Amino acid sequence: METATYAILSRQSGLLREMRIVANNVANAATTGYREGQLVFSEMVQDTRHGASVSMARARIQTTSTAQGALTQTAGPLDMAIEGDGFFMVETPDGERLTRAGSFALSTNGDLVTPAGHLVLGPGGAPLFLPPMAATIHVGPDGTLSADGQPMGQIGVFQPTNPAALVREDGVLFRADDGADPILTPRVLQGFLEGSNVNAISQVARMVEIQRAYELGQSFLEREDDRVRNTIKALIR
Amino acid sequence: MQALKIAATGMSAQQLRVETISNNLANMNTTGYNARRAEFADLHYQQISRAGTVRAADGSVLPTGVQLGLGVRPAAITVHLAQGAFSATGSDLDVAIEGSGYLEVTLPSGQAAFTRDGSLKRSAEGLVVTSEGYPVAPEIVIPPDARSLSINADGEVYAYFAENVEGQLLGQFTLAGFANAKGLEALGGNLFAETEASGPPILGNPGDDGLGTLLQGYLEDSSVDAVREVTELIEAQRGYEMNAKVISAVDQMMGATTQVR
Repeated sequence: METATYAILSRQSGLLREMRIVANNVANAATTGYREGQLVFSEMVQDTRHGASVSMARARIQTTSTAQGALTQTAGPLDMAIEGDGFFMVETPDGERLTRAGSFALSTNGDLVTPAGHLVLGPGGAPLFLPPMAATIHVGPDGTLSADGQPMGQIGVFQPTNPAALVREDGVLFRADDGADPILTPRVLQGFLEGSNVNAISQVARMVEIQRAYELGQSFLEREDDRVRNTIKALIR
Repeated sequence: MQALKIAATGMSAQQLRVETISNNLANMNTTGYNARRAEFADLHYQQISRAGTVRAADGSVLPTGVQLGLGVRPAAITVHLAQGAFSATGSDLDVAIEGSGYLEVTLPSGQAAFTRDGSLKRSAEGLVVTSEGYPVAPEIVIPPDARSLSINADGEVYAYFAENVEGQLLGQFTLAGFANAKGLEALGGNLFAETEASGPPILGNPGDDGLGTLLQGYLEDSSVDAVREVTELIEAQRGYEMNAKVISAVDQMMGATTQVR
């Protein structure tokens, strides 16, 4: 008898979870290099031991949008954006991480670092060094760094081996447990930053959809409650 | 309810963005001001189901996990070091720095500060000081009978006197460069102080490697681009509203929940 209630409950808790993902997307609509997250519902068929089966909803799969975010011109010589696929590789205390946020700076030693102080790596996994007082820093379309006309190495752009298995970490970082390979012909733009790729309109539309679906579920629960109540009343009478 | 808090972090992030924009717009006519930009990063993620978890006896694993983010946080407010336009003032003690570098000034505490505001004045003692009266380092004293001054691109200051055609070298302006000028701490009053992140100042004469040159009779305008700021302001405002919308949607969902008997 409770199966109907449990089936709708599985949907409701999934919707609440999706609402959190939508809220996180909207909150990060201005985060440089943020990638929109999406939740996929799947059917879980449960055996009821009476022969017939019942389908539950399950929100267990998350995908990350790979759409290109809007590029904003900043004119900063160390602001970089990747056009197309790939990620920058940075060295954090916990290991190598991928990121699309290309707002870099120079450390006091002249190393190219992220605002959090993580080293930015080249295609071979080595940190990049620039002379501290270089007058002009130029980044070629393939990520080649040059200071005052002297080539100083290349910014590494990496593609995760298994893009579906990226794990999100705070600070717009991604962890690729299966490793990442350098892209041979990357497209790096100097003086640009890639904004968040959250599509605000679709997020608000989805939010309304979630809200209505949730209310629908609640009204179903109410009706179910009424039905059980009426049955009990009829039986007692 | 977590979604409410997530949307609240989004609202405070957009508010910080508006505050940064309003500070930029307020400094649209500040000499040597560089526009700031608020940068954000996502917060910690809560693991709901871990990718790679074995979920069946046959060893098949979950290809992707579910991670719920907890919102957004301000990561940095970065200074966009851009050269501002020059406006001619005609004053012989106004200098604009063409390229990178800062003038060093000595604060009353003896601490060194750095500025790109070259609207210099002369004090009662003939010392070259900033508009706020801080002496420029190294100190340059202008004799009271000097009729005119000339500052060349390399920072050499010459004074001309009535009785002599040739100028007299009074001193030399130096510029300070930093490995990471974005890491300087703003003190207000167009002044910056050295920090751990900026590295120590690298002093040199104007025109030395990496440092800019001086231009007498000009001042560097603020590098704030009003059109850009206003576009960002619209974006921030809509972003704020969108987060508020999430809060009201979650509130209605909660309302639906409490109405269930």
